[in-house]
Amino acid sequence: MGGLKRKSSSSAKALAKSKKKKGPHLPNSILKVIANQKRPLNSDEEDDDDVIGSDDEHGGDLYEYEEGVPEEESRKNNRYDRHENYDYELPEDFEDENVESEDDDDGGNTDNDEAEGDDDDDDDRHTRMLQSLTGMPSAAFEGESKSKPVLFTEAYPEGEFNPTRDVLEGKNVLTEEDFLAPLEGTPGYQKTSKQIARMRKDTKHVVHAPLPKPQRERLERKAVIGLVDEEFSKWVHLVKKNREAPTVYFNQDVDLGYSTVGAIASEFQPRTEFEKKMASVLNDSEVSEAHRDDGARLLELNEVSMEDHIKDHNHIAKMRSLLFRHEFKSKRIKKIKSKTYHRLKNKDLKNSSLGALMDPEMAKEEAMRQEAKRVEERMTLKHRNTGKWAKRMISRGLNVKYDGPKAAIAEQLQMNANLSRKMNSMRDGSSSDESDDEEEFNDGSDEDTPSRLIAKAKEKTLKALEDDEVPNAGLMSLPFMARAMKKKNEEANEEAKRALEEYEEWENSGGENSKKSVTVSGRRVFGATAKVEAPKESRKDSDNFYDDSDSDNDMARIEDNNIEPVRDNASPARNTITETEFDDDVAGNPASKTTFDVAMFASGSWKKMTGSKNTESKKASKKTRAPIPQAQDKKGPRDEESGDSESEAEQMVDGVLTSTSKETFEVPSQAELINRAFAGDDVLDEFEKDKEEVLNQEVPKPEKPVLVPGWGDWTNIQKKRGISKQMVQKHDAEKKEWEQGLKTRKDARLKHVIISEKVDKKAEKLHTTTLPFPFTSKEVFEHSMRMPIGPEFNPSTIVGELNRPEVVKKTGVIIKPVKFEEVNPNDEVDDEHPRNHQKQRPKKKTSRRQGKVKSK
Amino acid sequence: MRIKTISRSVDEFTRERSQDLQRVFHNFDPSLRPMEKAVEYQRALTAAKLEKIFARPFVGAMDGHRDGISCMAKNPNYLKGIFSASMDGDIRLWDIATSRRTVCQFPGHLGAVRGLTVSTDGNVLVSCGTDCNVRLWSVPRPSLEDSDLSSEKSTEVVHSICGLYLQECVILSFTSRAVDHQFEGDLFATAGAQLDIWNHNRSQPVQSFTSGSHSVISVRFNPGEPDILATSSGDNHISIYDIRMSSAARKILMRTKTNSIAWNPMEPMNFTAANEDGNCYSFDGRKNEEAKCVHKDHVSAVMDIDFSPTGREFVTGSYDRSVRIFPYNGGHSREIYHTKRMQRVFCVKYSSDATYVISGSDDTNLRLWKAKASEQLGVILPREQKKHEYNEAVKNRYKHLPEIKRIVRHRHLPKPIYKAKAESRAMNDAKRRKDDRRKAHSAPGTVVTESHRTRRIIKEVE
Repeated sequence: MGGLKRKSSSSAKALAKSKKKKGPHLPNSILKVIANQKRPLNSDEEDDDDVIGSDDEHGGDLYEYEEGVPEEESRKNNRYDRHENYDYELPEDFEDENVESEDDDDGGNTDNDEAEGDDDDDDDRHTRMLQSLTGMPSAAFEGESKSKPVLFTEAYPEGEFNPTRDVLEGKNVLTEEDFLAPLEGTPGYQKTSKQIARMRKDTKHVVHAPLPKPQRERLERKAVIGLVDEEFSKWVHLVKKNREAPTVYFNQDVDLGYSTVGAIASEFQPRTEFEKKMASVLNDSEVSEAHRDDGARLLELNEVSMEDHIKDHNHIAKMRSLLFRHEFKSKRIKKIKSKTYHRLKNKDLKNSSLGALMDPEMAKEEAMRQEAKRVEERMTLKHRNTGKWAKRMISRGLNVKYDGPKAAIAEQLQMNANLSRKMNSMRDGSSSDESDDEEEFNDGSDEDTPSRLIAKAKEKTLKALEDDEVPNAGLMSLPFMARAMKKKNEEANEEAKRALEEYEEWENSGGENSKKSVTVSGRRVFGATAKVEAPKESRKDSDNFYDDSDSDNDMARIEDNNIEPVRDNASPARNTITETEFDDDVAGNPASKTTFDVAMFASGSWKKMTGSKNTESKKASKKTRAPIPQAQDKKGPRDEESGDSESEAEQMVDGVLTSTSKETFEVPSQAELINRAFAGDDVLDEFEKDKEEVLNQEVPKPEKPVLVPGWGDWTNIQKKRGISKQMVQKHDAEKKEWEQGLKTRKDARLKHVIISEKVDKKAEKLHTTTLPFPFTSKEVFEHSMRMPIGPEFNPSTIVGELNRPEVVKKTGVIIKPVKFEEVNPNDEVDDEHPRNHQKQRPKKKTSRRQGKVKSK
Repeated sequence: MRIKTISRSVDEFTRERSQDLQRVFHNFDPSLRPMEKAVEYQRALTAAKLEKIFARPFVGAMDGHRDGISCMAKNPNYLKGIFSASMDGDIRLWDIATSRRTVCQFPGHLGAVRGLTVSTDGNVLVSCGTDCNVRLWSVPRPSLEDSDLSSEKSTEVVHSICGLYLQECVILSFTSRAVDHQFEGDLFATAGAQLDIWNHNRSQPVQSFTSGSHSVISVRFNPGEPDILATSSGDNHISIYDIRMSSAARKILMRTKTNSIAWNPMEPMNFTAANEDGNCYSFDGRKNEEAKCVHKDHVSAVMDIDFSPTGREFVTGSYDRSVRIFPYNGGHSREIYHTKRMQRVFCVKYSSDATYVISGSDDTNLRLWKAKASEQLGVILPREQKKHEYNEAVKNRYKHLPEIKRIVRHRHLPKPIYKAKAESRAMNDAKRRKDDRRKAHSAPGTVVTESHRTRRIIKEVE
């Protein structure tokens, strides 16, 4: 409690008290005398607090003073010691006020005489004191005191507007008795006095004085605080939820402007004439009314005249036919698959547009003609073996049997090729051409294709022979060019003739040759040799196919005869391999069994040292190794027949194996084994070297000072001074430092450990020196940094959530203050945001205390 | 033999529109990207640097008053309008969006205008001042035409003197220092020798609170709880009132005067007080014996404070000629704004969309700042937005690392502030050193250092 407050409260209390207090019923004059005697003259200088003190001690209750309080306890000397009073007197005061009134009732009059006696006593004491002090007879003082008139301390005469101090201080207030006294003896006196007495006794209906203001305010405040706190507390859950949410959204549901077509359309104002007309119809009240009704009236409004109807009908029919034709045409054009056609068409379109600039009609005509020609060429597909006859021939295989149909079909194909080449030649590649050819072959006979190919080649060469006609216009028609062309042609012709001869030769030797060529493939087939024969033919076919597709003239390559010997060599070799393998299986099995036994016997001592698994694996290895040398014996004579490389390889393997099989089973100890295994490398030494190196790097050894010749001496005569003292000292210091550095290292005493104490400056910047604020443990912090959040490292579905800021708001939209809503405190913040897991959510307590932490 | 083939479905790789982005498939296997952390760190660094490069917070100054600006009010219903009043009794309405000029004036006050507030619907402006007047003005309604007009005639002064706007004038027996309007109600409070609660429609206060002999300096209604308000008075008290009750609820006695108070609009129990000692103190309205957070950085008295509508930060204007933005739970400011010409800042406001900050200062100018210095204004495409978000997230993630921290935290300070800060730091250090020594050389437990949060609070009055 501050002094200020206390002061005002106590003064107020005194006021209240003074109003209430009623002293004994002394006449005013006596009281006044008493008061003046008791109050010292310098009472004006007393401050408020002292007044209170004096009040408490002897203010209005003269009789009380005499009654209870002994002199030494009256604390007259302690008057200025306020604080002692403050602490405990306040509650007493409160009680006094209530108790007092009862006291007054009971013992008011009885104490009257005593009070007077007290007064006399006091006077006596005073005179005695004066006597003792001055040494004069008491009579002198008595007279003085008795004869002393009433002392006026007020500057003004007492009156209505100048109340005496007594009145102001509430010591000498008029009471009911004062008013009643003059009435004594009058007829109503008894009644009124009784009434008053009753009133005094009636404690129930007594209206207590209001509490002092500060106290009252305090109580009021307490009540208000309770209410306000309650108001605030209801927000706690909502606030907590908002604080803990990883993202707070504002104004997400506010729409900015028009979002729908309807909303925009509703703002539409007709401006042009047409729009206005439309609007007039749309907004026609008649129509809208009809709509609103059952719609029957709409039919009436819909009525159209006959003429209009016919006109409409015709118009629609015309438009439809146009549309149909257009569609038909476009459909037909769309059907054409040729890229070339379309490209040409586009080109023509361009050209026509160019030509159209000059002469649109002509260009159009030209385009039409070209188009027609191409379409005809392309669309008929007359020569593609699609005819009835050709199909029949092919299906029956007649085209192979007889020369006539064969030639006819070939001719057809040729024609087709010619026709289509025109367009194909424009293409970059010839893929479709090839595929066409392949198709043909697939369609055609499966057997005897080489002969057909030969025939085709022949045809081509013949055609080439026929075709060489000299062009009679352009550059080629010039005489020297013509001569050169002729020369070339002759050469080509000769070559063609040679080729033709060759073809004929092949055709004659057709069957056998083709069969021999089967073995061309270098693939090995393991298994019975008899079976190898069967797929030969088919494989040959496929080979031919591939070759053909590359180029027609490459036929020769297929027929290469020098493959034959290879095949001859290879096949016996293969046979021998299969045979030896078979033999191995037969002969090896018993052998392996025997070796197995040996191994068991031999590895008896091993068993003790190693686990059963180990021995088993050993056994297995033996098993694989042992049979081979046995087989080798049998195989020996046949080795010359098999391929050199193979036999060599086997021999090598055998060599190794034989050596191992002869090993003696002296079982070395574990240590010995390890020694033997790591015989070459001295690990300990290496490690020591490594450590030294690391130490040298991290704590470099100071260099010894050396005397550089020419430095430090002027002439030969001069006495050699050696290395300067300073340098030596410096070196010593450095050395000491170095030693210290070595000693203080963490691995100084650990012989087998290197603990690097190198600080990587580049890595330094990636570390924090202290744990950042909301985190309480290192692991959590590191965990939070572990996962990248970028779009390159995360699927796009969660990138947005990972990167979402803490506050999401829309610029330009007013954010309203929070509105109260019930929040269930037990509801967890929704876990939809994966960042929740990464980010350590600060506890509520810590979040409140953030200020402290941050402001350090 | 099985052959693995690469197959792509046409549906997945076909765009619906030509504007669509081509779909790119990633393999998110972390083993394929061992450097992801380094990459992100580098990006964070770049983002921090870019933020510095693009930090251009000052949008513009609004010139027009002929005396220092004493107070401002934002229109809660209209983003572009802001009211300001100056020491010579001039009240102006500004258009801060397009033209940044005065829209109209409200003449009438004879002395300095000390308080200004607008009703929540934005129709009534209340002003009070040293001429003992409380005036109610009707605010001209903003319309599309107006803004068009003003943008067209940019050179001409298009504002009108609106004597017609005065609705009512009440003459008090004392000067009032502050006024504030209830949120979504028709009550407002004036503060002077006593705190009066008024209704728009009455010429007598609905309620009055008197407290002590000192006058009330500032008053602010709680936006979340419209019946609760907080005042600060000249005798260093902060009081919370419930206007339904007859007396104050809580009173805090501090060592220094509180110049202004702002309630957190998102957390109705919390408010922050701008103190004369250069700090701001955040209180929980239920527990006032200690501040929840002390926001330090200003080197002179904090004159005004206003919360962002998001409740996540607040802006302060100080006598040290700077404007700072603090996080609501952070001890130090996130941002400082200053210009050479800006003098003592008497009033600050955060715009209602939490994007701008407006400051009014002694140099008769209003200044418009961006709340986020490097924010890109205007329409932002979604991809841009994503990029910004990513940059922000990455920066936020690596903000603890020294290099990034240094860049992000660095602010250029005006010389006087820099010097004053250094000085105060030296003083604080010395004091702390002394305290430490005293503590070390006395019996344990006898010397107790008080925390910052309670140091400046004397007591909570019961």
